Amino acid sequence: MAKELMPGQKRVTTGGILGDLALVGWFAFSLFPVLWMFLLALKTPAEQTTTFFQFSPTLDNFITVLTDRGRTLTGVDFKSAILLSVLNCAGAVLVSLVIGIPAAYAAGRFKFKGSDSLMFNILSFRFAPELMVIIPVFVIFNRIGLFDTPVGMIWVLQLVTMPLVVWILRSYFQDMPEELEQAALLDGYTRKRAFLMVALPLVRPGIAASALLSFIFAWNNYMFPLILTNAGSITVTITKFLGGGGQAYYNLTAAAGVLGALPPFILALTIQRYLVQGLSFGAVKG
Amino acid sequence: MGTLSVRGITKKYGSLTAIDHLDFDVHDGEFFVILGPSGAGKTTTLKSVAGLVDMEEGSVAVNGIDLTMVEPYHRNIAMAFESYALYPNKTVRQNLASPLKSGRTGHYSADEIEQRILTVTKTLGIDQLLDRFPREVSNGQRQRTALGRVLIRPADIYLLDEPLSHLDAKLRATMRAELKAIAQNSNTTTIYVTHDYQEALALADRIAVLRHGKFVQIGTPVEIWREPIDSFVAKSLGQPEINLIDAVVANGRITALAGAIDIPKPDGLSEGKVRLGLRPSELVPGVQVPGHVQIKGTVRISERLGRDIELEVSVGDGHLIVVTDSSKAVAERDDVVLSIDVPQIHVFAGGDPGQDTARLGSAQQISPVTKEVEQ
Repeated sequence: MAKELMPGQKRVTTGGILGDLALVGWFAFSLFPVLWMFLLALKTPAEQTTTFFQFSPTLDNFITVLTDRGRTLTGVDFKSAILLSVLNCAGAVLVSLVIGIPAAYAAGRFKFKGSDSLMFNILSFRFAPELMVIIPVFVIFNRIGLFDTPVGMIWVLQLVTMPLVVWILRSYFQDMPEELEQAALLDGYTRKRAFLMVALPLVRPGIAASALLSFIFAWNNYMFPLILTNAGSITVTITKFLGGGGQAYYNLTAAAGVLGALPPFILALTIQRYLVQGLSFGAVKG
Repeated sequence: MGTLSVRGITKKYGSLTAIDHLDFDVHDGEFFVILGPSGAGKTTTLKSVAGLVDMEEGSVAVNGIDLTMVEPYHRNIAMAFESYALYPNKTVRQNLASPLKSGRTGHYSADEIEQRILTVTKTLGIDQLLDRFPREVSNGQRQRTALGRVLIRPADIYLLDEPLSHLDAKLRATMRAELKAIAQNSNTTTIYVTHDYQEALALADRIAVLRHGKFVQIGTPVEIWREPIDSFVAKSLGQPEINLIDAVVANGRITALAGAIDIPKPDGLSEGKVRLGLRPSELVPGVQVPGHVQIKGTVRISERLGRDIELEVSVGDGHLIVVTDSSKAVAERDDVVLSIDVPQIHVFAGGDPGQDTARLGSAQQISPVTKEVEQ
């Protein structure tokens, strides 16, 4: 006879314990490279190629990366690169939201001729490899002078972020009962005001989720900045510490990697509370 | 206040026709009830009047002005949705204030808005919930808030979609009376949708019975109750449903239930198969009224439902359901005589079981219109 469980209590079984242990093992395994990066970032140049975990930790690498000291040593201006990257990615996300939210609303609410193929077209930006379009984009950018400009970067990065925003938000708008907006129409509000008053506040979790996700995608993008700018972006700049034929600064690369992971991390923590809110709050009969 | 006139409205969802060329007029100040089973097209009818669905055909006019192409927010029509459709991010107070703040239902000062909110929420019994969010109140309270959002504002026409369906029985009866009083006092034109025949009979000036997107019959509650146009309408009104039994007209008499019913046929009824409709509440057990038809049977099941008793009485080769009050209780397996007034016996055309057929008249008199159709 199994013991009666209190509310919230879970039954403990051998299989369950083994499963948990396996998950912990997998967790350690998959996070090991991240741990390695942290450790490497704290090592001195003399220790950087050792595999021992015993070393004298130092924050020197971070200081070097962020100050002129690193610039004279390696020729890499990391501080400007990270600021420029934040600017470019935030710009791309902003453009995607301004254009993507109305687009997602239209796609979720109205069925019109060609709406499905239009949505598929937008999605295809995501699954087509960037390599496929990079040469023509490079040529065009050179011709019209967008090469190595923030406007040019925002333009190509929103190719990455816009499909995410539209597709995530479309499903939010579809899940939202249409009768909420209909009620607003009959209350005397125009469609635009009904959208702003009723629909938009309700998809706030979706906006937060898609903004975060698209920022991360733009942040992690490597191919576009590699080909289309010299000023650098976070992803390309980190690799420059590896020297490219000269001396490879593994410890500085690791420190730059840690610093480079911070902005999305901070962003995620900031908007986390919007992500967990439910959509309809039980205002509509289920 | 407003007169509504609807002509030939049709709405299709894919291959399904939700409403099919509906025509109706609702007079100024009238309380018009649309009664029908789920899926009959009741909500679609309301939304067509409100301008919330794109109709394939037809026109909607209020006070003689064609509104067919007019946006919902210019129509001055209020609607309570069956799903409530309360704004989840706004409190009950903000939900109620919403139609008053749009600027299209008139202009109100903050004091006026608050005053209206207090009046309407007191009537609906939700005045203690004003600062709660919809997710924090019960379904019944949400439904009353949705109703309040309609009643708080002036409008040419109120559209109410099952506005009492989620209230408990006692509250529903109270609110029904309240609604009737509001409708009479404010003299607002109202279209009320329900599947509950008691609500329809209690509230309506006129009832329209809707089935498969078409009106089967439109009339006053008395007309619909006394002279249902066919067996579908007869079955829609009354719980338990009307008894429908097969009968034969021959040799000047109508016989049914293996001879347990044997009455003279009314003039104008041609020979052949018919169906008789006997309402459970019109069959009186144990009292022999002179001039009424007497039906002999045996009580098979007797169920006490509070004040009323429901009997299943075996009669001939079938059975009849009878509803009576407990003073006329009959024990199970006892013999009983049921009596019914001749005009209360409805005569419908014969048909297969499950098939709805037209009413020809009563056992006393065949209705003249139907007689013409029959000949």
